[in-house]
Amino acid sequence: MSNEIIVEKLIHKGAEASLYYGSWFGKEAIFKKRIPKGYRIEQIDKLLCYNRTLNEAKALIRVKNYGVLVPPVYEIDAENSTIVMKYIKGEKLKDILHSLTPSQKVQHLKEIGKAIAYLHKNGHIHGDITTSNIILTPTQELFIVDFGLHDYSDSIEDKSTDLHLFKRVLISSHGSDFTICFDAFLEGYREGYGIEKKYECEAILKNISIIETRGRYIKKEDRL
Amino acid sequence: MFIPEKGGIHPILVKEQHLNNFMGIINKALEDASISIKEIDLIAFSKSPGLAPILKIGAHVARMLSQLLGIPIVAVNHCIAHIEIGRFLCKIEDPLTLYVSGGNTIVSAYESGRYQIFGETLDIPIGNLIDSFARDVGIPHPGGPKVEALARESDNYLPLPYVVKGMDLSFSGLYSATKRLIESKDYENKYTLNDVANSLQETAFAMLTEVTERALAHTGKSEVLLTGGVAANKRLQEMIKYISREHGARYEVVPLKYAGDNGAMIAWTGILRYKSIGGNNISETQINPKERMDQITIPWRS
Repeated sequence: MSNEIIVEKLIHKGAEASLYYGSWFGKEAIFKKRIPKGYRIEQIDKLLCYNRTLNEAKALIRVKNYGVLVPPVYEIDAENSTIVMKYIKGEKLKDILHSLTPSQKVQHLKEIGKAIAYLHKNGHIHGDITTSNIILTPTQELFIVDFGLHDYSDSIEDKSTDLHLFKRVLISSHGSDFTICFDAFLEGYREGYGIEKKYECEAILKNISIIETRGRYIKKEDRL
Repeated sequence: MFIPEKGGIHPILVKEQHLNNFMGIINKALEDASISIKEIDLIAFSKSPGLAPILKIGAHVARMLSQLLGIPIVAVNHCIAHIEIGRFLCKIEDPLTLYVSGGNTIVSAYESGRYQIFGETLDIPIGNLIDSFARDVGIPHPGGPKVEALARESDNYLPLPYVVKGMDLSFSGLYSATKRLIESKDYENKYTLNDVANSLQETAFAMLTEVTERALAHTGKSEVLLTGGVAANKRLQEMIKYISREHGARYEVVPLKYAGDNGAMIAWTGILRYKSIGGNNISETQINPKERMDQITIPWRS
């Protein structure tokens, strides 16, 4: 057991943040560091990185109370806009979805639907639900990661937008599995939202098709 | 040009101004081009978006001229015209466009037959924000260049609300906050007008640049076009240029004369449409004040 913090290697570089793999007091860890942006003045950049780091870390800590699996946060270094969290071993759902059996697909997507319903029911919007942001572990647990665009909201519109993004991702990246996956996802979502908030849940799902009819969200094949 | 003595644009006053001036403007244009009205082959006018009473004047005059002269007519969307004149003048093929003006704040790119809107303001446009601020501190119209000059004299930053939602923006909270700053008793004691102008610009432009960068990464376009009246601002140009370079994209800003609203852009877009699929029937030339640019198919690009 080591009692130090070691940042080993860069494993992913996104537009907003870089992910490093390393160890944190002997535990395998991910270091998520926001990248400073040179076009804006330092005061704005620091404030944004600081606030967004804190917001993301807080969200990770809060949503686990609702039964959603997210990486546990080890340390928040807001000054350096870094979140240290547990390294979740597994595969991105995006990479393995096609290789699963139909019953596995249904089982996992239902599970994801439930988890997203738990978030929404409690006023959390993930903001970027994609199959790249869902990790399937060897023990068949589903972790939801990247709360960088997380927001708090109780509005039906925000929740439908969140779901609509996921629907678009399923269509564009997993077209042949879309129907089976999305149906299972909706089943899980309804179940997770619960019978006592049934009407709210149905309003959210209905609003997805309203969003779709707006020009900017019409999927490629349907556009002229 | 209509310049209000004080306050903003009152639709009825502008309508009167348009009615009183259209003939003079047409004559001046003909004179500048040294042609007679009989030599005009095509008439284009702006049918959307905008203030209904004002759009109507243009539509009426255009329809009248078209029928009187027996020439085809084309109804043009104002926002699309901004992009088309930029593409033409900057010789740019397929840009991601940041269109910033008094009436619009839009991040757009051509995809699947239309100019899709990837990000836009959820409340007031950026130009409106700057103009309103200028008005509040007693700067006469147009406020943009003067606010820019004021901001250049300061390096002091006062924290202001920064609201970006995905690729959309909100400026109304930023406006209220700057208003509070200039109404506060600390104003001109702890900070100056220059500091407020600088903070306003830095915050609003960082927001614009962030969503433009996100849209650039999302669409994977390799060209960036900056247009609209606010495109004249050097600080905004600098920031958009910076992210364009970082993404290896070519950066162009539309020449000032054609970045703000102008007749040439409407005419040019009319020509594009006419060459591609011909003119509109008179029955299709109704104004549509609320029409979004992403509702319109672009026949000359598909």
